[in-house]
Amino acid sequence: MNVVDCSGLTKTFGRTTAVKNLSFTLAPNKITGLIGRNGAGKTTLLKLIAGYLLPNAGSIQVFSENPFNNIKVSANMIFVDENMVLPASMNLGEILESAGRFYAHWDHKLAVGLFTYFNLHPGQYHSKLSKGMRSAFNVILGLAAHCPLTIFDEPTIGMDAAVRKDFYRALLKDFMQCPRTVILSSHLLNEINDILDDLLLIKDGEKCLHMPIDELKEYAVGLQGKEETIAKMAEKAEVLHRKKLGKDSVYIAVRNQFAEEELHKARLEGVAISPVAADDLCMYLTARNKGGIDDVFDRN
Amino acid sequence: MLLDTNSLKPIYVQIAEWLEMEILNGNIASDEKIYSQYQLADMFNVNPATAAKGLNILAGEKLLYKKRGLGMFVSCHARAAIRSKRIERNLKQLVLELVAEAKRLDVGRDDLINMLIAAELQVTEEEGSQ
Repeated sequence: MNVVDCSGLTKTFGRTTAVKNLSFTLAPNKITGLIGRNGAGKTTLLKLIAGYLLPNAGSIQVFSENPFNNIKVSANMIFVDENMVLPASMNLGEILESAGRFYAHWDHKLAVGLFTYFNLHPGQYHSKLSKGMRSAFNVILGLAAHCPLTIFDEPTIGMDAAVRKDFYRALLKDFMQCPRTVILSSHLLNEINDILDDLLLIKDGEKCLHMPIDELKEYAVGLQGKEETIAKMAEKAEVLHRKKLGKDSVYIAVRNQFAEEELHKARLEGVAISPVAADDLCMYLTARNKGGIDDVFDRN
Repeated sequence: MLLDTNSLKPIYVQIAEWLEMEILNGNIASDEKIYSQYQLADMFNVNPATAAKGLNILAGEKLLYKKRGLGMFVSCHARAAIRSKRIERNLKQLVLELVAEAKRLDVGRDDLINMLIAAELQVTEEEGSQ
């Protein structure tokens, strides 16, 4: 049974459509990465799943129920983002102590372990923490709550690289001990790539790609070589990105629909074949216009 | 070992190849238990489903066998099978690329063979000094 089931989901704010006719399902006990450009509708989608917002059209089911104003969904879900509302009168130690009363599967040992590891102090107040420390505290709540549906909306904002790495590893280790459905939205796909099961890529509120992360690696391939050789190969595949290099050399990223022998033959003809990093691929797929930043400067 | 995220090879293939190396160099003997998907996930910091996919490649080639409730074990013929597979797929491919590069650089057959002999000596020496 699917944990999340959306069909034709649409949400508008005034004249802007944040989520447009989105249909997908999330199977239980998987980590799904939600990726998209700024303003693609990631947060709106997550808030719809969490039941914070009511859709304008389409349907959404979480644990087979409508999540809006729903006690079952609220009890089995935690939503972690930078605006987590926590009581201002309680210090961090008190918040940790009382969190167990709200979450049935609360893992206090894990919470305290992570709390100490990330150098937080029980006497501190949430509002007085630095951006990175506040994010660290929020993800501790998100992990230790052990909710069947755990949503992280850009949880690593403000964290330095070392803390982000620790968080991803903590998430993976805890996920293996206690499998649950995790949705992780982030801009840093390359960092979370390896720990994901699936990737959901959205563009302008619409679904762009939803596939196991392993398949994404084989989805596209980068070819670099002489213009005429590349042009011949480009005829056979969908070109996602093109960049001129030097005088007569060109780099293209294409859908990988080549047979092993074709790639091998190209290699012998002097074509450099490289993988397309997941985050580059997502950038190409969600590009709003042909060309790129260079065009802004090349206009005159 | 660290995974090569810049490689064209998917992570699960890299894990499968790493396991093959472990069997090939005798770190895991026949009928010995191989790493579980969770051990692999922890070692390589990857999703357990990815690690399982790596194990399943080897199981699909009958290099591993399952014991119900105990996990996966190395088949008795695994080592020999991996060796011949590597010769067939990797070594022959490498030789092909070697010959192609030599041709591009206009290196004759005798020179190439001399280079091979020199390389072999170097490898033997390095092994001896370790």
